[in-house]
Amino acid sequence: MDFTNLDFDQLFGMKDDTNPLMMLVWILPIILFVFYGQRIQLYVTSSELKKGIKKLDSFREESRDELIDYLKKNMKLDVDPVKKIDQFLDYFTIMPVDMDPNGIVDKVQHTVRAREDYTREHLKSLSPQISDFELAKVQTLLEIASSLQMIYKIINHMFLTAKKQNNYPLILPLQMILPFIMEQAVAMKDAIPAFKSGQPVGDGIGPMVVGKMMLECTKETVSFQTVLAKTDFEDRTLFLLKAEGPGSTVGRPADALDVITSDSKIDAIIMIDAALKMEGEDSASIARGFGAAIGGIGTERFSIEAIATSKKIPIFSIVVKQSVSEAITLMTKEIADTADDVSAQVYEMLQENTQQGQSVVIIGVGNTAGVPQ
Amino acid sequence: MFSKKKITLAYAVEKCPKCSMLKKRKFVEGDVLFSESSKCNSCGESTMIEKIFGETLEQ
Repeated sequence: MDFTNLDFDQLFGMKDDTNPLMMLVWILPIILFVFYGQRIQLYVTSSELKKGIKKLDSFREESRDELIDYLKKNMKLDVDPVKKIDQFLDYFTIMPVDMDPNGIVDKVQHTVRAREDYTREHLKSLSPQISDFELAKVQTLLEIASSLQMIYKIINHMFLTAKKQNNYPLILPLQMILPFIMEQAVAMKDAIPAFKSGQPVGDGIGPMVVGKMMLECTKETVSFQTVLAKTDFEDRTLFLLKAEGPGSTVGRPADALDVITSDSKIDAIIMIDAALKMEGEDSASIARGFGAAIGGIGTERFSIEAIATSKKIPIFSIVVKQSVSEAITLMTKEIADTADDVSAQVYEMLQENTQQGQSVVIIGVGNTAGVPQ
Repeated sequence: MFSKKKITLAYAVEKCPKCSMLKKRKFVEGDVLFSESSKCNSCGESTMIEKIFGETLEQ
């Protein structure tokens, strides 16, 4: 084909003998996209977002119904729980002002704990004879349902605002974050059966390892929902710490560490936890490192780091990598199979980093649902 | 459209403390880790639940 002899008038239909209708075929879409391009994109994106929001709404409804159903079936209730549960689901937490960050951690911790205590007490008032095990389970289910409700409300608000203003750039960030939000929401929805049945979740690998080490030892409650056991290993004193299972709780390891370090001289802290894997990393792979391996809003980590720094105690960590979904749903076989390996690595770490006669705190961090000690 | 439905089945692994015999069975409501379970088929000793995990199947 000879490209040097192109007739542009003919190519673009600009000749006098060209059918004007044919010209419109390509001129009209250009005009349409110039003036209404963003609006068209808004409609296309909106339909995708609507599907996501519809799913979020169904997750919210499902989690609420599951919670109410569980309460009605498993608790001897004096009153109908629906009204009370709907009130709980709409509860909000106003985080402290952080313009002056001085003392913010204590304020956040106080606010969060006050909310937890309030929820616990009011759930107990629904059924005064409820066991601590069941109470922790219901509290976790309520936390899931209220989180899903909050996610739905925020995403729906952002979507409706963008639609109301016919503002395409406003909808873009929503389109970008929605897949990540959906991943979290699906994980939360999938977590409900595991928590309802009291099964261990992926996040429970730390408590599982330490719980097994505690089996033959005498246990004592050292802080709220947190147990301590003392044992020996090759002339070293081990303080084993985990949340009190098999209820669904993460305990208060920082408070417990404070008690231990004020009573005994500690030479090292080893923390075992689940950690979010990066894309491309293998699930259930084990990694070692330094620093406090503990998630959550950061208050527990802050307190543990503060204690360790003031007493000059090194912190070592062992983490088992997993996805968001694996961390809060029923533990996978691959993660459960790492327990013995993690245990062996803890003893190896003790031999490598501590000496005979020293004392070490070993903390199994994570939700201890289905994992006693 | 063509994605297969996934279901997760929960299992418990019982371990005999005497002969280390392992037995995998379906999870039963009330099972928790390290709790005493059925008698060992090999030596008759009470087994302990060593692991509880889920396996996902595609339908």
